[in-house]
Amino acid sequence: MTKYLRIFITLLVILAALFAGNWVWNDYMHSPWTRDGRIRAEIITVAPDVSGWVTDLKISDDQVVKEGDLLFSVDRQRYQAALNQSKARTENARYTWELEKHKNERRTALRRQEAISAEDLESSRISTEIAKANYDLAVAEQETAQLNLDRTHVYAPASGHIINLNLRKGNYVGQGASVFAIVQSDSFYVTGYFEETKIPLIHLNQQAKITLLSGGKPLTGHVVSIGKAIANSNTQSNGQLLPQVQQTFNWVRLSQRIPVDIKLDSLPEGTQLSAGMTATIHLAKQ
Amino acid sequence: MLQVAVLGGLEFSPLVVYFPIAFLLAALTRFVLHRLDWYDLIWKVAWFEVSLFVCYLALTVYVLGGR
Repeated sequence: MTKYLRIFITLLVILAALFAGNWVWNDYMHSPWTRDGRIRAEIITVAPDVSGWVTDLKISDDQVVKEGDLLFSVDRQRYQAALNQSKARTENARYTWELEKHKNERRTALRRQEAISAEDLESSRISTEIAKANYDLAVAEQETAQLNLDRTHVYAPASGHIINLNLRKGNYVGQGASVFAIVQSDSFYVTGYFEETKIPLIHLNQQAKITLLSGGKPLTGHVVSIGKAIANSNTQSNGQLLPQVQQTFNWVRLSQRIPVDIKLDSLPEGTQLSAGMTATIHLAKQ
Repeated sequence: MLQVAVLGGLEFSPLVVYFPIAFLLAALTRFVLHRLDWYDLIWKVAWFEVSLFVCYLALTVYVLGGR
């Protein structure tokens, strides 16, 4: 009897171990989780629309700005001069047009008395039209000059934090060259790089539990997008347009990592998030 | 609730913590069984101990992993 009890107890524990081992294996290998998660945020790069010296810098690094706040101003003298020039040109074109109109009216009267030829009248009418077109052109150029002058003030395109401000008063900034970035407020999200073998277990709106490397309460979120493409290094070509095919091992292949974006639901009080932080992500099993 | 084990800025798998815990539990059980002379009740001691370790490991993962 004791012999059978001995065998029974041992087999029972071995059976339990098989189940337990299987559970641990599935939990690690076949459930949607990754340790390769990063906090991300929407970053807006700010670039001036006109070139020139920075004459007025209203911001400091890491400052919170609201949408529409003045960030900095570019030297406006050149653009003011251009606007003045445009205004003068517009005036010039307007008077030229009025003169042509006046001449045309006079010629219309002369034509009634048959003092001038029909051709002269027609050429005078066309001259008036040309003068009007020149005036319209001058007006359009003045608007552009006005726009350039207005754009010497750079306003915040969105609310957020100023990041990496190396701009100083007196720096020369080029049109379209980014000078610093704004991290948009409350735009934090998490991207998890999941192994491709786990992608079938992931679907949109799946609940996610996010643990930061820094600890603290886990954050919650839900899946909003599953990456539909990642770069394939085999499609690159060399200088002779030949495909650069990577060598691989026949026996061991690394699974690709697919980015999955997770929107954060609500942040617990006092959570400090910075884009780039490391996170571990567990998705709810379905 | 142990998702990651962080040591000096290095992130380790929590298994690094779970394994020693399971090992300690298994060693403790072994010690107790010896003390009580219950080892006579076990058929294949090596099989039993390995299985016990696996069970303890699964238990640690379940309890500390917060699942």
